[in-house]
Amino acid sequence: MRLSSRAMGISPSPTLAVDARAKELASAGERIINFGVGEPDFDTPENIKEAAAQAMSRGMTKYTPVPGILELRKAICEKLFKDNGLEYQPGEIVVSCGAKHSLYNAIQVLVEEGDEVIVPAPYWVTYVEQIKLAGAKPVVIQTRPENGFKILPEDIVQALSPDTRLLILNTPSNPTGSVYTVAEIKALAEVLITAGIWVLSDEIYEKLIYDGARHTSIAAVSPEIKERTIVVNGVSKAYAMTGWRIGYAAAPAGVAKAMTGLQSHCTSNPDSIAQAAALEALRGPQQSLSTMVAAFAERREYILQRLDQVPGIKCGRPGGAFYVFPDVSAYFGRRLNHTTVASGTDLAALLLEEAKVAVVPGAAFGDDRFVRISYATSFENIKEGLNRIATVLCG
Amino acid sequence: MTDIARRVQNLPPYLFARIEQLIEQKKSEGVDVISLGIGDPDEPTPEHICREAARQINVRENHQYPSSAGMLAYRSAVADWYARRFGVWVDPKNEVVSLIGSKEGIAHISWCFVDPGDTVLVPDPGYPVYAGGTILAGGNIHCLPLLPENDYLPRLEDIPSDTARKAKILFLNYPNNPTAAVTREGFFDEVVRFAREYDILVCHDAAYIDVSFEGYRPPSFLEIQGAKEVGIEFGSVSKPYNMTGWRCGWAVGNKHAIEVLGRLKSNIDSGVFQAVQYAAIAGLNGSQQCVSRINGVYRKRRDMALAALGEIGWDITPTKATFYLWLKVPKGFTSESFAEHLIDRAGVVVTPGTGYGNYGAGYFRISLTLSDALLQEALKRLKSTLGRVSF
Repeated sequence: MRLSSRAMGISPSPTLAVDARAKELASAGERIINFGVGEPDFDTPENIKEAAAQAMSRGMTKYTPVPGILELRKAICEKLFKDNGLEYQPGEIVVSCGAKHSLYNAIQVLVEEGDEVIVPAPYWVTYVEQIKLAGAKPVVIQTRPENGFKILPEDIVQALSPDTRLLILNTPSNPTGSVYTVAEIKALAEVLITAGIWVLSDEIYEKLIYDGARHTSIAAVSPEIKERTIVVNGVSKAYAMTGWRIGYAAAPAGVAKAMTGLQSHCTSNPDSIAQAAALEALRGPQQSLSTMVAAFAERREYILQRLDQVPGIKCGRPGGAFYVFPDVSAYFGRRLNHTTVASGTDLAALLLEEAKVAVVPGAAFGDDRFVRISYATSFENIKEGLNRIATVLCG
Repeated sequence: MTDIARRVQNLPPYLFARIEQLIEQKKSEGVDVISLGIGDPDEPTPEHICREAARQINVRENHQYPSSAGMLAYRSAVADWYARRFGVWVDPKNEVVSLIGSKEGIAHISWCFVDPGDTVLVPDPGYPVYAGGTILAGGNIHCLPLLPENDYLPRLEDIPSDTARKAKILFLNYPNNPTAAVTREGFFDEVVRFAREYDILVCHDAAYIDVSFEGYRPPSFLEIQGAKEVGIEFGSVSKPYNMTGWRCGWAVGNKHAIEVLGRLKSNIDSGVFQAVQYAAIAGLNGSQQCVSRINGVYRKRRDMALAALGEIGWDITPTKATFYLWLKVPKGFTSESFAEHLIDRAGVVVTPGTGYGNYGAGYFRISLTLSDALLQEALKRLKSTLGRVSF
């Protein structure tokens, strides 16, 4: 049974090795502090769980329309209008099994074999794998920490070729936490309109934003760019619902229809009960969201302060998400605990073995001068984890 | 729209999406539509399964990412079910992967083994997703005609050997949608020999393996000696436990194929909500009385339909499995014109056979997934609209 060339092209996940080793150590009885997590450590709010249970007892256990129940798509339209100033009709919304699935549908629908897709690095690794799966070529643009890891219009111009089809934009960003300002987004939009390329705008971390920063959806800055944008969002991060697997895309009707067509062949509707839960998340009280964001803000403040005290670690001040993304390259070439550190991957391995702290090496995001530290874990864990990191790195 | 990638443009409109639209349109015109179209069980999900889901919804761990391969507890429940149900041993760690319904695996397995230009052997008539997944991966479809004179089993000996050599996947589906046919003794053995000879992955869709009547027990493909070396089997909780909306299924069998499918799909989705996996476990591990009960319901409806259709002029051998009936269209009609005639004159939706491929021409499918009362009413309407049919 020979594999397809696509299947052979799929890279093994670079985070997997760290993850596997962390689990091994944990099952051997070590207390691992896990800074690797990519999801809120909060419970799904009560009202949402209750809505799911009610949906079940109402018998909402059968197929729903492929792009999701109409009421949920209406609620998504209301949300996009209220939060993002975007006007969409329910026919332009496709609900899928998580934002990852929405991204997959979007890329499959827009990208041909041989097309190029611009991906700013550091990036979430799944973008690259999904682009390859569509037979297209990821064109990676390295951003710079001095620019807050944000691409500039001229970066796009430089990366353009006749085959460029799409740009993937992720704000707030995983892994860097960067948040683009309105002015920055507008400048990008202008270049994209001139170039005639599409934008896939991953806005899943939208609600996790600090220091009074505001999230801007690129689709909101002009009608011209809205016609070339697919907005992807979901309930996972904002409502602590990663497990429920509900994401959505908003796109021009033709693209939304094609995404629905694809989804009808590949998965049918997303889980009917989780759809009811997502509806309650969007329409119900938003109190638990502000509580969660306040907790993240406090942890972020603390983690930045502590990292600032570790010599050799350079860390910007990310405006969103629940990650910090420090530059650890000052340690490269240094011998720590009998090993010479040459990369973020080495440092992550060292921290796991010696400090029993799991962080994700920057290699997973296309830049191994960095590591990603998630603060989606308890304050006590953060404190203990940073104590351990400081002990190992400062000797 | 020129902006849409060719692979998606090449997909035919999904049959049931089209039927749904037609139903909506007729309803909005004020027609009192009864659908015999889609195979979506009308009965509720059994209570013990819903109770378990309701309990698991409150468990904190379940609010977080599932693994895309599925919880080991889920994969073990599937493996145990295979052992109990078929006497087939599969390793839950390496030979089982969770799916967002069996459709997900059927649609994505071609990504794993089919390069543009490769051939896939697709039964015709057949579930449209076999062809859909092939088209997405850029593969070529070679149709295997399922004909009544062969009891709707493909004749493997008719496949030209150069085609077989180019083929990467063979899709099969017994009990069969749409024809309601079942496999015969010895057929799966032939399949294993054929797949070995030509190095083809057999993908057996067993979505209806639990829907059967009067003591008939549909076999698993994996019961056959050597099947695990050449094939995988897709299954789901949708049909036996009335859980179509929940989207939960599995692929089981060949370790290599399961590993690749699991790795590939980790780039497409992040797995099945764990509360749903626990609900499925409750279904698989719990008393199977709910399955016998629902099969009793379908059998009764089948008999109702056979009697009424017999009076109109159809001569049908009682089906052994699935909740479908595959029927010839009367003289003077094509599949499409007959389906149209019924919706216009009787307000009854049936699925035209051509929706399942060219060899479905001259046939239509009805699904028994509606209440006895509605079915009775639909049959009454057919009788008064059609009177007596000939072929």
